[in-house]
Amino acid sequence: MVEELRGASEGAFDLAEGTVYPALYRLERAGLLKSRWTSLGGRRRRVYRLTARGRAELARERKDWKAFAHAVEVVVT
Amino acid sequence: MIEQVLDELRRELGAVGIRGRFRRRILVESEDHLRSDPEAPARFGAPHDVANAFAAELGARRSRRAAVSAFAALAVAGAVYAVAFVGASFAGVPDPDTFPILAVLAFAAIVFAPQVAFVSGVLAVIRALRRREPVLPSAELRVINRRTGLALLSGLVTMGALALFAFELRSELAGWWVTFTFVGTASASGLLVLAAVPGIGATLLRPQVAGEAGDVFDDLGLGRTGPWRFALLIAFAVALAVWAAGTVQGDPLDGALRGLMEATACLGGFAVFGRFLGLRR
Repeated sequence: MVEELRGASEGAFDLAEGTVYPALYRLERAGLLKSRWTSLGGRRRRVYRLTARGRAELARERKDWKAFAHAVEVVVT
Repeated sequence: MIEQVLDELRRELGAVGIRGRFRRRILVESEDHLRSDPEAPARFGAPHDVANAFAAELGARRSRRAAVSAFAALAVAGAVYAVAFVGASFAGVPDPDTFPILAVLAFAAIVFAPQVAFVSGVLAVIRALRRREPVLPSAELRVINRRTGLALLSGLVTMGALALFAFELRSELAGWWVTFTFVGTASASGLLVLAAVPGIGATLLRPQVAGEAGDVFDDLGLGRTGPWRFALLIAFAVALAVWAAGTVQGDPLDGALRGLMEATACLGGFAVFGRFLGLRR
């Protein structure tokens, strides 16, 4: 996930991977994510998935962000 | 390398106050992450920063929960106090001049401690609910925890003093009032002690997050003025209200004297607790 973020932002968001976990735990507590242990290639892994509420929240936040970014773009250009 | 990072993370989590099951979950998940690829330890971040990020999130949540729990327990204690206070008029309280010394001390605590409990409890919950961010400055958490702690302590002092008052005057007061006061104060004290558990959990966390705590103007959302000018205004308003109540009861001189005492207590409280409770910077 952090790699995706780093790649998609062309290196602008280069987070220390360990510091992402507190945010994941918070989102899980808020019911926006769901996690479970799974086994992949003999290794235990914790997999996080968006819940239906999480997807709805993401859509709402994305819409808000686009509106905000567009407003700033209009003002500064 | 991985074991070294995990050891350091375990130590750092302990240093910021995260232990037990939650620490185990963090360590298991971190180990899983660190073993995901050879470069993962290098990208994981400093264990100190990771532990601090967890403590910062957990600290804000625990302090908020502690303030709300304390407020709920204080509401019950407040109801017991109100019923006991009103009921005392029908329970045959003897002349204060005849009170034994312990009853006099208990009475003084019954008058002042609930005011401190009410003010600090309300301020704790206001600050906790106004600051909804997932991470708060350490200074802000300290203020919320202090307010919560003082509110609970004052609540317990009030309940203890009320029970002591009933005990000291048990032979002169109506039996139903004494029984109600014993049962009510014991139940409310139990709730206050239970409400202290999340508060203790909150104070055990030691995140380091930069930033200042707010002051009384942030709590009330009012325009900013000098803190002492504000305290004087509040003290004057309190004195006026008490004097008005005394006048309505037909004794304006007594009302004025009590108003003056309340205003002095108000300013004294602001001087003593102002910085400690984050009322002024």
